[in-house]
Amino acid sequence: MLTYALRRLLIALPTLFGVVLLVFLMVRLAPGDPAVLLAGEFATPETLEAIRARYGLDRPLPEQFLLYLKALAQGDLGESAKSRRPVLEELKTYFPNTVQLASAAILVALLTGIPLGILAALRPGSGLDLAVMVLALVGVSMPVFWFGLLAILIFSVELGWFPVAGKGTLAHLVLPAITLGVNATALLARMTRGTLLEVLSQDYIRTARAKGVSERVVILKHALRNALIPVVTVAGLEFGSLLAGAVITETIFAWPGLGQLLVGSILARDYPVVQGAVLLVAFSFILVNLLVDLLYAWIDPRVRYD
Amino acid sequence: MRNVLLAFGIALLGLAWAQQRLVVAQGTDPITLDAPLAQDSPSATVVTHISETLFELTPEGRIVPLLAEGHSFSDGGKTLTIRLKRGITFHDGTPFNAEAVKFNLERFVSRELASPFAFLLSELERVEVVDPYTVRLRLKNPFAPVLAHLTHSSTAMQSPAAIQRFGAQYRDNPVGTGPYRFQAWQKGQFVDLVRNENYWGEKPPIPQVRFIPVPEGTTRVALVETGQAHVAVRIPPQDIARLQANRAIEVVRTPSLRTIYIYFNTQRPPFNDVRVRQALNHAVNKEEILQFVLGGIGRVSDAPIAPGIFGYTPVGKYEYNPQRAQELLRQAGVSTPFRVTLHCPTGRYFQDIQVCEAIQGQLRRVGVEATIQTLEWGAYLQETQRPLKDNRIQMAMLGWGTVTGDADYGLYPLFHSSQWAPGFNRSFFKNAEVDKLLAQARISTLPQGRQQLYREAMTRIWQNAPWLFLHSEVQVTAVRQEVQGFIVHPTERYLAYKARFR
Repeated sequence: MLTYALRRLLIALPTLFGVVLLVFLMVRLAPGDPAVLLAGEFATPETLEAIRARYGLDRPLPEQFLLYLKALAQGDLGESAKSRRPVLEELKTYFPNTVQLASAAILVALLTGIPLGILAALRPGSGLDLAVMVLALVGVSMPVFWFGLLAILIFSVELGWFPVAGKGTLAHLVLPAITLGVNATALLARMTRGTLLEVLSQDYIRTARAKGVSERVVILKHALRNALIPVVTVAGLEFGSLLAGAVITETIFAWPGLGQLLVGSILARDYPVVQGAVLLVAFSFILVNLLVDLLYAWIDPRVRYD
Repeated sequence: MRNVLLAFGIALLGLAWAQQRLVVAQGTDPITLDAPLAQDSPSATVVTHISETLFELTPEGRIVPLLAEGHSFSDGGKTLTIRLKRGITFHDGTPFNAEAVKFNLERFVSRELASPFAFLLSELERVEVVDPYTVRLRLKNPFAPVLAHLTHSSTAMQSPAAIQRFGAQYRDNPVGTGPYRFQAWQKGQFVDLVRNENYWGEKPPIPQVRFIPVPEGTTRVALVETGQAHVAVRIPPQDIARLQANRAIEVVRTPSLRTIYIYFNTQRPPFNDVRVRQALNHAVNKEEILQFVLGGIGRVSDAPIAPGIFGYTPVGKYEYNPQRAQELLRQAGVSTPFRVTLHCPTGRYFQDIQVCEAIQGQLRRVGVEATIQTLEWGAYLQETQRPLKDNRIQMAMLGWGTVTGDADYGLYPLFHSSQWAPGFNRSFFKNAEVDKLLAQARISTLPQGRQQLYREAMTRIWQNAPWLFLHSEVQVTAVRQEVQGFIVHPTERYLAYKARFR
């Protein structure tokens, strides 16, 4: 298993290199002069020149890339062209907040999506099943933006239960976590229902029931354990995409996460920060994937890696 | 009864405690609190509370001394002597004096700092300390707007000791002479300021101010509605009606110094003919656009610069008159329908693309078929600033904020023929009279004379119509009723230091 983990980490390296190269090319080849955006609309040619020299924008592209790689290898992500802070410092400030929000969101999804899916699967075709499936459909297809603003208007402005926005107490986390988690909740509910129904129709379940094992044990021990294996994978991947995709939720709730940093930096053409942030997201995605695979091997004895 | 009274008392106490702090919701977090590098209005807003400039542009548009005591020009306007107020110290105890001014101004124009606003003092040759409370600015040329430029928040005075001590970290530890001192900055969450108890001027009534970044407009509105913020800036138009119905909130409209226009390439046909440019000015119904596209938020232009700027006077109006437009086009020998490309940014200015679409529809009525072309902002700037021979733009929308509040900054870069793109004169406007008037107003040190020169220059610009004149922006701010005296500055800064709770 350890060898497997190490091998997976090694495979991740070329992936990361690909991400670095791609992001580098994408931000540089986009039209528009970054120096103009950095210096502002009112800058003189002298200022522009000074800024180009400062950030190496006057050098040829391959040279810029090599310089970037070299610095990267030394753990230096560069300096934000806009705030002039080290990129690493910026990421350290914002990323933990995104992790916190995404964790809360996936927790919401696990704690509501899976039980709802189980309830629906136990009584397929019932009114409850129908209700859960309709909710899941709404949850999957609802725009996050609309849901978030609606949540603010109802639960903060009208009812006054939760703060409108920002970070601080636990109460601040509730609305953004639900908003960010709503899609994942719906997905997990559908997924759990589907796999559980499938498992329940398998021969070994029939055997267990025939042996006279209580229904509770059949469901909890025999069926659920097997049904949840693919759900774990999906939940893991969902967590990865929540880390990357919290942008809209963070914007609505003024949550100080990576999404906010990233959007601002893209608009400002702040190359070093954009590159650093995308790299971090890619890295965490790869890491989450790896963890999911390891977890998979742990809960499903049939999966073995050599 | 006693319990009720007690509860009431506690509630009052709580209220009094809560009222110690004013919370302002801005669109974004500041980027830096180092004044010369602060370009965006959230950064400039926070900086202004901490660090003060030598002169101040009042919200009414007057230039008055702030850290300066007085000034005089000599040597034909090439030397500016500034006397400083005495007994002022920075928040860290460093004395504010002529040495500090010299340090700050030299840092401001230095190439190492690469301040985007260094051009404001590009005429500065050197700074001399005459005595501890007098500095002399030697200029390369006589330059009347220099006082206005010294009101710009990027030229604010910051403690030399702190700048040296903190080095690159200064941006997170700003030290000025202002009414508030910096307390804490939790990135992406808040910037906290506390009252400077040793302030040399009138102390602010509210002891603490907190700026919070809230990118989504509707969320900012909700914060003010629930009382979690006292002020929300840049209210989205669709929320205005709802706020106006709320008696706890006042919706404040303040003119901005930013003007929105569509310029023509005046060197290429058909727009090298002044009649075609005038025709398009008559063909567009600007009042209608203001009413129906901007929701009444804005002000139809009657000069190339906005009111509130030194040198502004209304110089004319292009009546909406499609017949007149068609007649002018005929006289110019333009056969309709004629096709033209209109470049337009998306999301850069308030309702920008919607305004362009409305103009497209109105132009169609006089036989002008405009195709709208949009580009991402970075690419857009690059296209508009190409020199004449590579420039493919026929007409394009841009906005200009006259941040110094002086007509020179709003006119010289945009209309003087020495400023052709890649400078800011993107219409390639060239008029000998206007050139002469703008150059004269630059060196004339008498305010009265400058006013007159600008009036004449603007009248000529207006008649020559290098632009399709549109409107100037208006800032919409929501302020809770319990707050009084909060200032929305025309330079798009928001000032809390005269605010008080009712």
